Amino acid sequence: MTPAILPRYEFRIFGNNLSNYEEKIRQFSEKEITREMDSIYILTPYKKKSNIKIRQGVMDIKHLEHEHECLQQWNPFLVGSFPLAADVIKSVVFPALGIVCPVFERKKYTLKQFVEEVISIDPDITVAYVWKTRHAYTVNGCITEIAEIKVNGASLKTICIEAEDPKKVIAAKELIGISKKTENVNYPLAMKRIMGLTELPENWNNVNF
Amino acid sequence: MAKEKLEIGAISKPRFEFRTFGRSFEDSAYLMSRLSVPVPEKVWERTSMETYIISRTNDVNNTKIRDGKMDIKTFVQEIDGLEQWNPLMKGEFPMKAEILEKEVFPAFMVEMPKLDKDEYTIEEFMEIVKNHPDLQAISVEKERFGYMINDTICEYANVWINGAMVVTINSESTELDDIKKTIVDLGLQGVENINYLQAAKRITGMIDKKLAN
Repeated sequence: MTPAILPRYEFRIFGNNLSNYEEKIRQFSEKEITREMDSIYILTPYKKKSNIKIRQGVMDIKHLEHEHECLQQWNPFLVGSFPLAADVIKSVVFPALGIVCPVFERKKYTLKQFVEEVISIDPDITVAYVWKTRHAYTVNGCITEIAEIKVNGASLKTICIEAEDPKKVIAAKELIGISKKTENVNYPLAMKRIMGLTELPENWNNVNF
Repeated sequence: MAKEKLEIGAISKPRFEFRTFGRSFEDSAYLMSRLSVPVPEKVWERTSMETYIISRTNDVNNTKIRDGKMDIKTFVQEIDGLEQWNPLMKGEFPMKAEILEKEVFPAFMVEMPKLDKDEYTIEEFMEIVKNHPDLQAISVEKERFGYMINDTICEYANVWINGAMVVTINSESTELDDIKKTIVDLGLQGVENINYLQAAKRITGMIDKKLAN
């Protein structure tokens, strides 16, 4: 495994109406780029410190290294491109999922084989197909993102602020007007809530009718 | 035989339904609003918060809880792609263990948990669901807009499933031909009929299948 990038501190929120924060972000920064991408998140109810996803045929795993105040520092590792060796799936992917590894019938798995023959049939694994439209901004020197996402076809928005320096992230969060009480929700946790793999907190995206 | 005249909100004989879910049915929703006859004000816009209990092992019974009341519908038949669902049971919390044992859990088609109390509050029932490996409680918030086209009860709705939003559009009636005509009038020919149970299972990853768009 090769370290991909320097780990950054991150603060992320999900919601149905984040327009107040979006307006603030746009006051501080021009939109720099919009990117569209799809990802496959592999989830289990168990491990809370792993973020396992496949994008453009490449699997990466982020591990939650450190929590500083309200921020999370994720350390990414590139597992590799498909076809992936069964040994790598066994020694890297399943330990990160926190479940028992099945017996593999192949030495290598294409993405299709991995989805159909390994993860789809495992009762402990749930798959989230996530389509993202990500808009990049910079606030207080932090990479700041507003994204529209679709999780298995259902829509949601997310905002993320990240930087190597946690102080910068906290300051950017304040500039945007996100209160200290607002929960930091990472991607796997949001996916698990939508997929019903973990309990929903009282205030999770309630629609204020 | 003269066909039954449907009235929104009134009890009728079991209806057939076409419903689908996706990210947008904007054009069909516009047509629905233009083609509809006037409907009672009480159905113009309705909101609700419900909990669906989905079971890994069955797609034929649909269980929802709203305001402490449980409602189970069962799939009866499908004709020309339209589904007919009948009420199976209605109950209220606190609920007798006997009802859970004889009616509710058999409808889930899952292994029966041990019930050692005579009666269960909704909180206690939800705890059983939470601890059952084959059951899942899903939060469903709805914002529904009611219409009537070709004598069928129609609806366009924004639905938040565990906080993530989809839209749904439907037409229901006792008369198959009226629904089929409505599907054509709304430009929904060829769109898959997806019921609430299916949509919830697809979004939560219990079924690996896409929504209609």
